[in-house]
Amino acid sequence: MGPFIALALNGFREARRNRVTLLVAIFALAMLMSTTLVLEITVGTFDRVITDVGLGAMSLMLVLLAIFLSSGLISREIERRTIFLMVSKPLSRGAFLVGRLAGNMLTVTVLQLLMAALFFAMMSFYESPISPAHLAAVGMLWFELWVLSAVGFLMSSFSSQMVSAFVTVSVYFAGHLSSDIYKLASKSESGAIQALGKAVYYVLPDLSRFNYRPHATYYAPVTSSELLSAAAYGMAFTGVLVALAVVLFNRRDFR
Amino acid sequence: MDSPSPIEIRNLSKTYRLGFLMNRQVRALQSLDLSLMPGQVYGLLGPNGAGKSTTIKILLNLVQPSEGEARLFGLPPSDREARRRVGYVPENPAPYEYLTGREFVTLSGRLNGLSGKELDDRVSEVLGMVQMTRAANLQIRRYSKGMVQRVALAQALVSKPALLILDEPTSGLDPVGRRQIRDLILEERHRGTTVLFCTHIIPDVEALCDRVAVLVGGRRVREGSVAELVSAQTTHVEMTVEGLPLEHIQAMGITLEMARPLENRVLLHVRESDAQPLLKHVLEQGGRVTQLHPARFSLEELFLRALEEAKQGPVGGEIS
Ligand SMILES: Nc1ncnc2c1ncn2[C@@H]1O[C@H](COP(=O)(O)OP(=O)(O)O)[C@@H](O)[C@H]1O
Ligand SMILES: [Mg+2]
Repeated sequence: MGPFIALALNGFREARRNRVTLLVAIFALAMLMSTTLVLEITVGTFDRVITDVGLGAMSLMLVLLAIFLSSGLISREIERRTIFLMVSKPLSRGAFLVGRLAGNMLTVTVLQLLMAALFFAMMSFYESPISPAHLAAVGMLWFELWVLSAVGFLMSSFSSQMVSAFVTVSVYFAGHLSSDIYKLASKSESGAIQALGKAVYYVLPDLSRFNYRPHATYYAPVTSSELLSAAAYGMAFTGVLVALAVVLFNRRDFR
Repeated sequence: MDSPSPIEIRNLSKTYRLGFLMNRQVRALQSLDLSLMPGQVYGLLGPNGAGKSTTIKILLNLVQPSEGEARLFGLPPSDREARRRVGYVPENPAPYEYLTGREFVTLSGRLNGLSGKELDDRVSEVLGMVQMTRAANLQIRRYSKGMVQRVALAQALVSKPALLILDEPTSGLDPVGRRQIRDLILEERHRGTTVLFCTHIIPDVEALCDRVAVLVGGRRVREGSVAELVSAQTTHVEMTVEGLPLEHIQAMGITLEMARPLENRVLLHVRESDAQPLLKHVLEQGGRVTQLHPARFSLEELFLRALEEAKQGPVGGEIS
């Protein structure tokens, strides 16, 4: 097992032994289960409601978890001084950072797989039809989680967990609005506002590209080219953030 | 061609920039030179803030020097191959608390490229060496300070390093814990491992080191073997006289640096140049000299003297 894999697997072990992760996981599963409670009041639109509530709950819990975990990833190592024993090992700082992020994404992925399995099990239990849009909604959420984790992770490599989490939550909201901001600004008469809208759009991730929950709710068709381009966009955005984190981290003194 | 020195430091300086605007500067290290021979146990002795940890962190690529260079086995610390041959225990080591001692030492072995049965065997071996076999499967959050220190040492030893770098390995430990760490350092020295450690605890230096450098305010103020440093200070002679009361000796007109009457004898310290005349007077007056030897300054006196001198001259510290 290479050093990189050892680090990633250790990150997963850390999450498993972290009470907060465990609590969130249990809570999220319980919340998904409880969506069945809405069954009796909304018999007519049952398929829509189970999709809406199920995917919504899954997305909310995973986004919160991804932000919580990633924002503490590096800052906690520095605060607790565990970083000294790690960065001094025969391992490049880049490998250390990417190994930590990989471990984090392993945790997030396992939790998402658990929730998705439960969600689809419930759908089939209630004989609610599963469309390609449902799979797209779950799959694209995974790319959104990469982008958000990379933001939290980049922030946590030079600021505290509080600041990192705050910034990441802000990026989450702004990122879902960034395409709206862009459209709004492009309608403006002023060239300056148009430019500003463009700048905001290119600096912030366009998180609405990963949101296929409305498609799933209304059983709308999705095209694979659209999905592929969103996935590539997510990974590219993540790659840039990680590269930036590595550059900043490489020059840093740990005193 | 002889193998490159485990540690070679030339003209090393570090200035930390502090404050929100990075406009305050602290000079932590100034023009340090240091060279270790293979197999040496080398001590960096100095008070708090002397720059000991800064030196060590530069050697482990944790801190970038402002000037000068450091080499590990002829390679820069940023080279992973250089660090592969080093075992490091930081000051107040903080291994992951959610892991057990065994898990952490195993992780360290993996990061050093070990795997499989070789790794498992080596982990058990080093845990045995630091006497942590029984507590190995307990989470580190439940460990005492001494246990954490020993696990940190085990994770440094797991890769069989040719060079051990220890930052204050015995500070904050009780006498038993300190003794155990000292014994482990001595064992490593027998194996031929080169050891660099820093401390402000003088008995540790006396008990362990071949050579020592004294750092004060970021500058090296003394360097040499422990014996050399101590004997360089020997300018006094200690004499034990029997059969003469102290008053008679005092009446001889020789400056006594120290005079202590004991039960049936007197213990005297005089300057080297006064030793012959004093001896003559004592013998003439019927006294007996039962002991005569150069008065040894302890390393502690040497250290305090170096501190005193450094206070008068220019030293580092905050410069703006
Ligand atoms: N994290 C830090 N922030 C600011 N100054 C520091 C920091 N670490 C060390 N220094 C300064 O650098 C100097 C040397 O410190 P250090 O190398 O830790 O000394 P030692 O290990 O000998 O006690 C001191 O003046 C100290 O104030
Ligand atoms: Mg120190």
